[in-house]
Amino acid sequence: MKKVIPSFILLILILCACSPSSYSYSDDFFAMDTYMTLTANGVDAEIAVKKAEKEVQRLEGLLSAHDKKSEVYKLNKKGSGKLSDDTLAVLKKAIEYNKLTNGTLNPTMLQITELWGFPSGNYRVPEKSEISDALNLARPDKISIKNNEVEFKTDGIKVDLGAIAKGYTSSKIVEIFKKNGIESGIINLGGNVQTLGTKPDGSLWTVAIENPDEGGDYLGALKVKDKAVVTSGGYERNFTKGGKTYHHILNPENGYPAESGLSSVTVVCDDGTLSDALSTSLFVMGKNKAVKFYKESDKDFDIILYTNDGKLYVSQGIADNFNSQLNFEIIKKD
Amino acid sequence: MNRRDFVAIGIIIILSTLGFLFFNLNRSDGEKVKISVGSKTYGTYSLSENNEIKVKTDSGFNTVIIESGSVFIKDADCRDKYCVNQGKIKNGSIICLPHRLVVEIEKDDSSIDAVAR
Repeated sequence: MKKVIPSFILLILILCACSPSSYSYSDDFFAMDTYMTLTANGVDAEIAVKKAEKEVQRLEGLLSAHDKKSEVYKLNKKGSGKLSDDTLAVLKKAIEYNKLTNGTLNPTMLQITELWGFPSGNYRVPEKSEISDALNLARPDKISIKNNEVEFKTDGIKVDLGAIAKGYTSSKIVEIFKKNGIESGIINLGGNVQTLGTKPDGSLWTVAIENPDEGGDYLGALKVKDKAVVTSGGYERNFTKGGKTYHHILNPENGYPAESGLSSVTVVCDDGTLSDALSTSLFVMGKNKAVKFYKESDKDFDIILYTNDGKLYVSQGIADNFNSQLNFEIIKKD
Repeated sequence: MNRRDFVAIGIIIILSTLGFLFFNLNRSDGEKVKISVGSKTYGTYSLSENNEIKVKTDSGFNTVIIESGSVFIKDADCRDKYCVNQGKIKNGSIICLPHRLVVEIEKDDSSIDAVAR
Protein backbone atom coordinates (compact mmCIF):
# COMPACT_ATOMS: atom_id res chain seq x y z
CA MET A 1 0.00 0.00 0.00
CA LYS A 2 2.83 2.38 0.88
CA LYS A 3 4.16 2.04 -2.62
CA VAL A 4 0.79 2.28 -4.26
CA ILE A 5 -0.12 5.70 -2.84
CA PRO A 6 2.81 7.63 -4.37
CA SER A 7 2.31 5.91 -7.71
CA PHE A 8 -1.32 6.86 -7.64
CA ILE A 9 -0.52 10.47 -6.80
CA LEU A 10 2.07 10.51 -9.56
CA LEU A 11 -0.49 9.33 -12.09
CA ILE A 12 -3.05 11.95 -11.05
CA LEU A 13 -0.50 14.75 -11.08
CA ILE A 14 0.84 13.83 -14.51
CA LEU A 15 -2.68 13.69 -15.92
CA CYS A 16 -3.50 17.07 -14.43
CA ALA A 17 -0.28 18.65 -15.67
CA CYS A 18 -0.68 17.49 -19.23
CA SER A 19 -4.47 17.69 -19.61
CA PRO A 20 -4.42 17.20 -23.37
CA SER A 21 -7.46 18.58 -25.17
CA SER A 22 -8.14 15.09 -26.36
CA TYR A 23 -9.37 14.06 -29.77
CA SER A 24 -9.30 17.43 -31.42
CA TYR A 25 -7.28 17.94 -34.57
CA SER A 26 -6.83 21.00 -36.71
CA ASP A 27 -4.82 21.73 -39.81
CA ASP A 28 -4.44 24.73 -42.08
CA PHE A 29 -3.17 24.87 -45.63
CA PHE A 30 -3.39 26.77 -48.90
CA ALA A 31 -5.67 25.39 -51.63
CA MET A 32 -8.20 26.64 -54.21
CA ASP A 33 -6.50 30.03 -54.23
CA THR A 34 -7.30 30.56 -50.57
CA TYR A 35 -6.32 29.69 -46.99
CA MET A 36 -8.18 26.86 -45.32
CA THR A 37 -8.52 25.62 -41.74
CA LEU A 38 -10.15 22.30 -40.90
CA THR A 39 -10.94 21.27 -37.33
CA ALA A 40 -12.51 17.99 -36.23
CA ASN A 41 -13.40 16.76 -32.76
CA GLY A 42 -13.69 13.03 -32.15
CA VAL A 43 -11.62 9.89 -31.77
CA ASP A 44 -10.52 9.83 -35.42
CA ALA A 45 -10.16 13.60 -35.78
CA GLU A 46 -6.66 13.45 -37.28
CA ILE A 47 -7.58 10.76 -39.80
CA ALA A 48 -10.71 12.67 -40.81
CA VAL A 49 -8.88 15.99 -41.29
CA LYS A 50 -6.12 14.37 -43.33
CA LYS A 51 -8.62 12.58 -45.55
CA ALA A 52 -10.53 15.83 -45.99
CA GLU A 53 -7.34 17.64 -46.97
CA LYS A 54 -6.71 15.05 -49.68
CA GLU A 55 -10.28 15.45 -50.88
CA VAL A 56 -9.79 19.22 -51.19
CA GLN A 57 -6.72 18.65 -53.34
CA ARG A 58 -8.55 16.11 -55.48
CA LEU A 59 -11.52 18.45 -56.04
CA GLU A 60 -9.21 21.37 -56.80
CA GLY A 61 -7.55 19.19 -59.44
CA LEU A 62 -10.95 18.66 -61.06
CA LEU A 63 -12.66 22.02 -60.66
CA SER A 64 -9.96 24.66 -61.12
CA ALA A 65 -10.52 26.83 -64.18
CA HIS A 66 -6.81 27.69 -64.38
CA ASP A 67 -5.00 24.41 -63.70
CA LYS A 68 -4.15 23.01 -67.15
CA LYS A 69 -4.63 19.46 -65.91
CA SER A 70 -8.13 20.02 -64.50
CA GLU A 71 -11.32 18.65 -66.02
CA VAL A 72 -12.84 22.11 -66.25
CA TYR A 73 -9.79 23.51 -68.05
CA LYS A 74 -9.82 20.64 -70.55
CA LEU A 75 -13.57 20.99 -71.09
CA ASN A 76 -13.19 24.72 -71.76
CA LYS A 77 -10.38 24.09 -74.21
CA LYS A 78 -12.14 21.37 -76.16
CA GLY A 79 -15.74 22.53 -75.86
CA SER A 80 -16.92 19.04 -74.99
CA GLY A 81 -15.94 16.08 -72.90
CA LYS A 82 -16.85 13.40 -70.42
CA LEU A 83 -16.83 14.60 -66.84
CA SER A 84 -16.33 12.81 -63.54
CA ASP A 85 -19.32 12.64 -61.21
CA ASP A 86 -18.04 15.44 -58.98
CA THR A 87 -17.34 17.94 -61.75
CA LEU A 88 -20.66 17.11 -63.34
CA ALA A 89 -22.50 17.55 -60.04
CA VAL A 90 -20.98 21.01 -59.53
CA LEU A 91 -21.69 22.05 -63.12
CA LYS A 92 -25.31 20.89 -62.84
CA LYS A 93 -25.75 22.78 -59.57
CA ALA A 94 -24.24 25.90 -61.14
CA ILE A 95 -26.71 25.72 -64.01
CA GLU A 96 -29.60 25.02 -61.62
CA TYR A 97 -28.66 28.02 -59.45
CA ASN A 98 -28.29 30.19 -62.56
CA LYS A 99 -31.99 29.60 -63.19
CA LEU A 100 -32.95 29.84 -59.52
CA THR A 101 -31.30 33.28 -59.19
CA ASN A 102 -32.61 34.68 -62.49
CA GLY A 103 -29.12 34.70 -63.97
CA THR A 104 -27.41 36.65 -61.17
CA LEU A 105 -25.14 33.66 -60.67
CA ASN A 106 -23.56 32.77 -63.98
CA PRO A 107 -21.01 29.94 -64.31
CA THR A 108 -19.89 31.02 -67.81
CA MET A 109 -18.30 34.37 -66.96
CA LEU A 110 -14.68 33.17 -67.09
CA GLN A 111 -13.66 35.21 -70.12
CA ILE A 112 -15.04 38.40 -68.62
CA THR A 113 -13.35 37.89 -65.26
CA GLU A 114 -10.09 37.25 -67.12
CA LEU A 115 -10.55 40.46 -69.14
CA TRP A 116 -10.60 42.36 -65.82
CA GLY A 117 -7.46 40.52 -64.70
CA PHE A 118 -9.02 38.30 -62.00
CA PRO A 119 -7.43 36.25 -60.56
CA SER A 120 -4.09 36.65 -62.39
CA GLY A 121 -3.53 40.18 -61.11
CA ASN A 122 -3.04 41.76 -64.56
CA TYR A 123 -5.77 44.25 -63.80
CA ARG A 124 -7.23 46.61 -66.38
CA VAL A 125 -10.57 48.12 -67.29
CA PRO A 126 -11.61 46.34 -70.50
CA GLU A 127 -13.06 48.11 -73.55
CA LYS A 128 -16.85 48.04 -73.79
CA SER A 129 -16.64 46.04 -77.02
CA GLU A 130 -14.48 43.38 -75.37
CA ILE A 131 -17.02 42.99 -72.59
CA SER A 132 -20.00 42.76 -74.92
CA ASP A 133 -18.19 40.16 -77.06
CA ALA A 134 -17.41 38.08 -73.98
CA LEU A 135 -20.97 38.49 -72.66
CA ASN A 136 -22.24 36.80 -75.82
CA LEU A 137 -20.37 33.70 -74.64
CA ALA A 138 -21.72 33.83 -71.08
CA ARG A 139 -24.54 31.45 -71.93
CA PRO A 140 -25.11 28.59 -69.47
CA ASP A 141 -28.26 27.73 -71.44
CA LYS A 142 -25.99 26.66 -74.31
CA ILE A 143 -24.44 23.83 -72.31
CA SER A 144 -25.86 20.44 -73.17
CA ILE A 145 -25.53 17.58 -70.70
CA LYS A 146 -26.27 13.95 -71.49
CA ASN A 147 -25.26 11.48 -68.80
CA ASN A 148 -21.65 12.46 -68.12
CA GLU A 149 -21.10 13.95 -71.59
CA VAL A 150 -21.02 17.74 -71.76
CA GLU A 151 -21.02 19.80 -74.92
CA PHE A 152 -21.06 23.57 -75.50
CA LYS A 153 -23.60 24.42 -78.22
CA THR A 154 -21.87 27.76 -78.81
CA ASP A 155 -18.14 27.86 -79.58
CA GLY A 156 -16.00 29.68 -77.06
CA ILE A 157 -18.06 29.15 -73.91
CA LYS A 158 -15.87 28.78 -70.83
CA VAL A 159 -17.20 27.59 -67.50
CA ASP A 160 -15.94 28.79 -64.14
CA LEU A 161 -17.23 26.89 -61.12
CA GLY A 162 -15.31 29.10 -58.69
CA ALA A 163 -18.45 30.69 -57.24
CA ILE A 164 -19.68 27.41 -55.77
CA ALA A 165 -16.62 25.12 -55.75
CA LYS A 166 -15.72 25.95 -52.14
CA GLY A 167 -19.30 25.47 -50.99
CA TYR A 168 -19.41 22.07 -52.67
CA THR A 169 -16.03 21.18 -51.18
CA SER A 170 -17.19 22.05 -47.65
CA SER A 171 -20.21 19.74 -48.09
CA LYS A 172 -17.89 16.93 -49.17
CA ILE A 173 -15.67 17.54 -46.14
CA VAL A 174 -18.71 17.23 -43.87
CA GLU A 175 -19.46 13.87 -45.52
CA ILE A 176 -15.90 12.68 -44.86
CA PHE A 177 -16.03 13.88 -41.26
CA LYS A 178 -19.31 12.01 -40.70
CA LYS A 179 -18.01 8.83 -42.35
CA ASN A 180 -15.12 8.89 -39.89
CA GLY A 181 -17.40 9.22 -36.90
CA ILE A 182 -16.86 12.95 -36.39
CA GLU A 183 -19.91 14.72 -35.00
CA SER A 184 -18.29 18.06 -34.24
CA GLY A 185 -16.13 20.17 -36.51
CA ILE A 186 -15.62 23.50 -38.18
CA ILE A 187 -14.40 24.04 -41.70
CA ASN A 188 -13.13 27.39 -42.90
CA LEU A 189 -12.32 27.55 -46.60
CA GLY A 190 -10.99 31.08 -46.95
CA GLY A 191 -13.94 32.61 -45.14
CA ASN A 192 -16.54 30.10 -46.36
CA VAL A 193 -17.45 28.60 -43.02
CA GLN A 194 -19.23 25.28 -42.53
CA THR A 195 -20.04 23.92 -39.08
CA LEU A 196 -20.78 20.31 -38.20
CA GLY A 197 -22.81 19.68 -35.06
CA THR A 198 -21.97 21.76 -32.02
CA LYS A 199 -18.75 22.39 -30.15
CA PRO A 200 -17.59 19.38 -28.08
CA ASP A 201 -19.17 20.89 -24.96
CA GLY A 202 -22.53 21.05 -26.72
CA SER A 203 -22.57 24.82 -27.16
CA LEU A 204 -23.16 26.51 -30.51
CA TRP A 205 -20.32 27.63 -32.77
CA THR A 206 -19.65 31.35 -32.96
CA VAL A 207 -19.02 32.62 -36.47
CA ALA A 208 -18.07 36.28 -36.74
CA ILE A 209 -18.98 38.21 -39.88
CA GLU A 210 -16.15 40.34 -41.29
CA ASN A 211 -16.74 44.08 -41.44
CA PRO A 212 -16.00 45.41 -44.93
CA ASP A 213 -15.23 48.88 -43.50
CA GLU A 214 -11.54 49.21 -42.72
CA GLY A 215 -10.55 48.96 -39.08
CA GLY A 216 -14.09 48.21 -37.97
CA ASP A 217 -15.05 45.53 -35.50
CA TYR A 218 -16.95 42.50 -36.82
CA LEU A 219 -20.44 43.16 -38.21
CA GLY A 220 -21.59 40.73 -35.58
CA ALA A 221 -21.30 37.20 -34.29
CA LEU A 222 -23.68 34.44 -35.19
CA LYS A 223 -24.33 31.30 -33.11
CA VAL A 224 -24.96 28.23 -35.27
CA LYS A 225 -24.83 24.46 -35.52
CA ASP A 226 -24.85 22.31 -38.66
CA LYS A 227 -24.88 25.38 -40.89
CA ALA A 228 -22.83 26.88 -43.66
CA VAL A 229 -22.09 30.59 -43.25
CA VAL A 230 -20.81 32.18 -46.45
CA THR A 231 -20.08 35.86 -47.00
CA SER A 232 -19.54 37.64 -50.31
CA GLY A 233 -18.24 41.15 -50.65
CA GLY A 234 -16.34 43.33 -53.03
CA TYR A 235 -13.87 44.33 -50.34
CA GLU A 236 -11.67 41.25 -50.57
CA ARG A 237 -10.49 41.13 -54.16
CA ASN A 238 -10.35 44.38 -56.04
CA PHE A 239 -8.09 46.93 -57.67
CA THR A 240 -8.09 50.69 -58.12
CA LYS A 241 -7.55 52.49 -61.43
CA GLY A 242 -8.07 56.19 -62.04
CA GLY A 243 -9.40 56.68 -58.53
CA LYS A 244 -12.15 54.07 -58.97
CA THR A 245 -12.20 50.69 -57.24
CA TYR A 246 -13.21 47.64 -59.26
CA HIS A 247 -14.04 44.46 -57.40
CA HIS A 248 -14.27 40.85 -58.52
CA ILE A 249 -18.01 40.16 -58.30
CA LEU A 250 -19.23 40.93 -61.80
CA ASN A 251 -22.83 41.55 -62.76
CA PRO A 252 -23.66 38.95 -65.45
CA GLU A 253 -26.09 41.44 -66.98
CA ASN A 254 -23.43 43.94 -68.07
CA GLY A 255 -20.03 42.40 -67.27
CA TYR A 256 -19.05 45.20 -64.85
CA PRO A 257 -18.42 44.89 -61.10
CA ALA A 258 -21.81 44.73 -59.42
CA GLU A 259 -22.72 48.07 -57.86
CA SER A 260 -25.88 47.20 -56.07
CA GLY A 261 -25.40 49.29 -52.94
CA LEU A 262 -24.45 46.25 -50.86
CA SER A 263 -20.98 45.88 -49.43
CA SER A 264 -21.42 42.43 -47.90
CA VAL A 265 -23.92 39.58 -48.07
CA THR A 266 -23.94 36.55 -45.78
CA VAL A 267 -26.07 33.49 -46.43
CA VAL A 268 -26.69 30.89 -43.72
CA CYS A 269 -28.14 27.49 -44.59
CA ASP A 270 -27.65 23.73 -44.27
CA ASP A 271 -26.27 23.38 -47.78
CA GLY A 272 -22.79 24.83 -48.32
CA THR A 273 -23.14 24.93 -52.10
CA LEU A 274 -26.41 26.85 -51.94
CA SER A 275 -24.97 29.31 -49.39
CA ASP A 276 -22.01 29.94 -51.66
CA ALA A 277 -24.22 30.46 -54.73
CA LEU A 278 -26.74 32.71 -53.00
CA SER A 279 -24.17 34.93 -51.29
CA THR A 280 -22.76 35.87 -54.69
CA SER A 281 -26.11 36.27 -56.43
CA LEU A 282 -27.79 38.28 -53.66
CA PHE A 283 -24.76 40.59 -53.68
CA VAL A 284 -25.36 41.19 -57.39
CA MET A 285 -29.12 41.70 -56.84
CA GLY A 286 -28.79 44.46 -54.27
CA LYS A 287 -30.78 44.95 -51.07
CA ASN A 288 -34.33 45.28 -52.39
CA LYS A 289 -34.18 42.38 -54.83
CA ALA A 290 -32.30 40.25 -52.30
CA VAL A 291 -34.97 40.82 -49.65
CA LYS A 292 -37.68 40.04 -52.20
CA PHE A 293 -35.83 36.87 -53.23
CA TYR A 294 -35.53 35.83 -49.57
CA LYS A 295 -39.24 36.41 -48.94
CA GLU A 296 -40.41 34.57 -52.04
CA SER A 297 -37.95 31.66 -52.10
CA ASP A 298 -39.06 28.21 -51.04
CA LYS A 299 -35.45 27.39 -50.10
CA ASP A 300 -34.60 27.40 -46.41
CA PHE A 301 -31.90 29.99 -45.75
CA ASP A 302 -31.18 33.16 -43.80
CA ILE A 303 -29.38 36.34 -44.75
CA ILE A 304 -27.31 39.19 -43.32
CA LEU A 305 -27.03 42.24 -45.60
CA TYR A 306 -24.73 45.22 -45.06
CA THR A 307 -25.12 48.26 -47.30
CA ASN A 308 -22.54 50.76 -48.54
CA ASP A 309 -24.11 53.38 -46.29
CA GLY A 310 -23.68 51.21 -43.20
CA LYS A 311 -27.15 49.73 -42.70
CA LEU A 312 -27.42 46.19 -41.39
CA TYR A 313 -30.31 43.78 -42.09
CA VAL A 314 -30.74 40.31 -40.57
CA SER A 315 -33.47 37.82 -41.46
CA GLN A 316 -35.79 36.54 -38.76
CA GLY A 317 -34.57 32.93 -38.67
CA ILE A 318 -31.18 33.91 -37.22
CA ALA A 319 -31.93 37.26 -35.59
CA ASP A 320 -32.14 35.75 -32.08
CA ASN A 321 -28.73 34.13 -32.52
CA PHE A 322 -27.04 37.21 -33.97
CA ASN A 323 -25.19 39.63 -31.73
CA SER A 324 -23.96 42.97 -32.97
CA GLN A 325 -22.87 46.31 -31.60
CA LEU A 326 -24.53 47.86 -34.63
CA ASN A 327 -28.24 48.43 -34.87
CA PHE A 328 -29.92 46.09 -37.29
CA GLU A 329 -33.31 45.73 -38.86
CA ILE A 330 -34.98 42.32 -38.89
CA ILE A 331 -36.31 41.07 -42.22
CA LYS A 332 -39.44 38.98 -41.83
CA LYS A 333 -40.77 36.41 -44.25
CA ASP A 334 -44.27 38.03 -44.04
CA MET B 1 5.04 6.89 5.54
CA ASN B 2 8.80 6.79 5.82
CA ARG B 3 11.49 9.12 4.49
CA ARG B 4 11.63 7.47 1.07
CA ASP B 5 7.95 8.10 0.53
CA PHE B 6 8.46 11.79 1.20
CA VAL B 7 11.38 11.85 -1.23
CA ALA B 8 9.22 10.13 -3.82
CA ILE B 9 6.38 12.59 -3.31
CA GLY B 10 8.85 15.47 -3.51
CA ILE B 11 10.19 14.20 -6.83
CA ILE B 12 6.68 13.69 -8.13
CA ILE B 13 5.70 17.25 -7.21
CA ILE B 14 8.80 18.67 -8.88
CA LEU B 15 8.23 16.57 -12.01
CA SER B 16 4.58 17.50 -12.31
CA THR B 17 5.32 21.17 -11.71
CA LEU B 18 7.87 21.01 -14.52
CA GLY B 19 5.31 19.27 -16.70
CA PHE B 20 2.69 21.87 -15.87
CA LEU B 21 5.10 24.71 -16.64
CA PHE B 22 6.15 23.06 -19.91
CA PHE B 23 2.59 22.80 -21.13
CA ASN B 24 1.40 26.16 -19.88
CA LEU B 25 4.32 28.54 -20.27
CA ASN B 26 4.02 28.38 -24.02
CA ARG B 27 0.58 29.87 -23.69
CA SER B 28 0.38 33.55 -24.23
CA ASP B 29 -0.22 36.32 -21.85
CA GLY B 30 -2.18 38.93 -23.75
CA GLU B 31 -2.79 39.30 -27.43
CA LYS B 32 -0.24 38.14 -29.93
CA VAL B 33 0.45 38.42 -33.61
CA LYS B 34 1.46 35.19 -35.26
CA ILE B 35 3.10 35.30 -38.66
CA SER B 36 3.36 32.10 -40.63
CA VAL B 37 4.58 31.28 -44.11
CA GLY B 38 3.13 28.16 -45.72
CA SER B 39 2.63 25.81 -42.80
CA LYS B 40 5.60 27.10 -40.79
CA THR B 41 5.47 29.69 -38.03
CA TYR B 42 7.74 32.60 -38.91
CA GLY B 43 7.43 34.38 -35.60
CA THR B 44 5.11 35.45 -32.80
CA TYR B 45 5.01 39.04 -31.59
CA SER B 46 3.18 41.01 -28.96
CA LEU B 47 0.25 43.06 -30.22
CA SER B 48 0.84 45.71 -27.59
CA GLU B 49 4.42 46.50 -28.67
CA ASN B 50 4.92 48.55 -31.82
CA ASN B 51 7.02 46.61 -34.26
CA GLU B 52 8.11 46.42 -37.88
CA ILE B 53 8.74 42.94 -39.20
CA LYS B 54 10.14 42.45 -42.67
CA VAL B 55 9.22 38.94 -43.73
CA LYS B 56 11.52 37.78 -46.52
CA THR B 57 10.93 34.47 -48.22
CA ASP B 58 11.78 32.91 -51.56
CA SER B 59 8.56 34.34 -52.99
CA GLY B 60 9.28 37.93 -51.92
CA PHE B 61 8.74 40.24 -48.97
CA ASN B 62 5.92 41.62 -46.84
CA THR B 63 6.51 44.39 -44.30
CA VAL B 64 4.24 43.81 -41.32
CA ILE B 65 3.62 46.73 -38.97
CA ILE B 66 2.27 46.37 -35.45
CA GLU B 67 1.11 49.77 -34.20
CA SER B 68 -1.11 50.78 -31.29
CA GLY B 69 -2.85 47.44 -31.08
CA SER B 70 -3.54 47.04 -34.76
CA VAL B 71 -1.70 45.26 -37.55
CA PHE B 72 -1.25 46.06 -41.22
CA ILE B 73 1.03 45.27 -44.12
CA LYS B 74 2.84 48.44 -45.17
CA ASP B 75 4.44 47.11 -48.29
CA ALA B 76 4.85 43.90 -50.29
CA ASP B 77 6.07 42.83 -53.70
CA CYS B 78 3.24 40.36 -54.34
CA ARG B 79 1.24 40.55 -57.54
CA ASP B 80 -2.18 41.49 -56.20
CA LYS B 81 -1.39 43.65 -53.11
CA TYR B 82 -4.59 42.48 -51.43
CA CYS B 83 -2.63 42.16 -48.19
CA VAL B 84 -1.59 45.85 -48.33
CA ASN B 85 -5.05 46.98 -49.42
CA GLN B 86 -6.73 45.16 -46.56
CA GLY B 87 -5.49 47.93 -44.27
CA LYS B 88 -5.43 47.86 -40.48
CA ILE B 89 -6.98 45.01 -38.54
CA LYS B 90 -7.64 44.66 -34.82
CA ASN B 91 -8.82 41.07 -35.01
CA GLY B 92 -8.88 38.24 -37.52
CA SER B 93 -6.13 37.83 -40.08
CA ILE B 94 -4.40 39.23 -43.14
CA ILE B 95 -3.51 36.71 -45.81
CA CYS B 96 -1.15 37.17 -48.73
CA LEU B 97 -1.96 34.30 -51.05
CA PRO B 98 0.89 34.73 -53.55
CA HIS B 99 3.44 34.61 -50.71
CA ARG B 100 1.47 32.10 -48.62
CA LEU B 101 1.76 34.47 -45.69
CA VAL B 102 -0.71 34.52 -42.82
CA VAL B 103 -0.70 37.26 -40.20
CA GLU B 104 -3.07 36.31 -37.44
CA ILE B 105 -4.14 38.11 -34.28
CA GLU B 106 -4.45 35.59 -31.47
CA LYS B 107 -6.59 36.51 -28.53
CA ASP B 108 -6.69 34.49 -25.32
CA ASP B 109 -10.30 35.11 -24.56
CA SER B 110 -11.46 34.78 -28.14
CA SER B 111 -14.90 33.28 -28.29
CA ILE B 112 -14.90 33.41 -32.09
CA ASP B 113 -14.53 30.03 -33.79
CA ALA B 114 -14.30 31.31 -37.37
CA VAL B 115 -14.73 34.48 -39.41
CA ALA B 116 -16.94 34.46 -42.51
CA ARG B 117 -15.63 36.88 -45.13
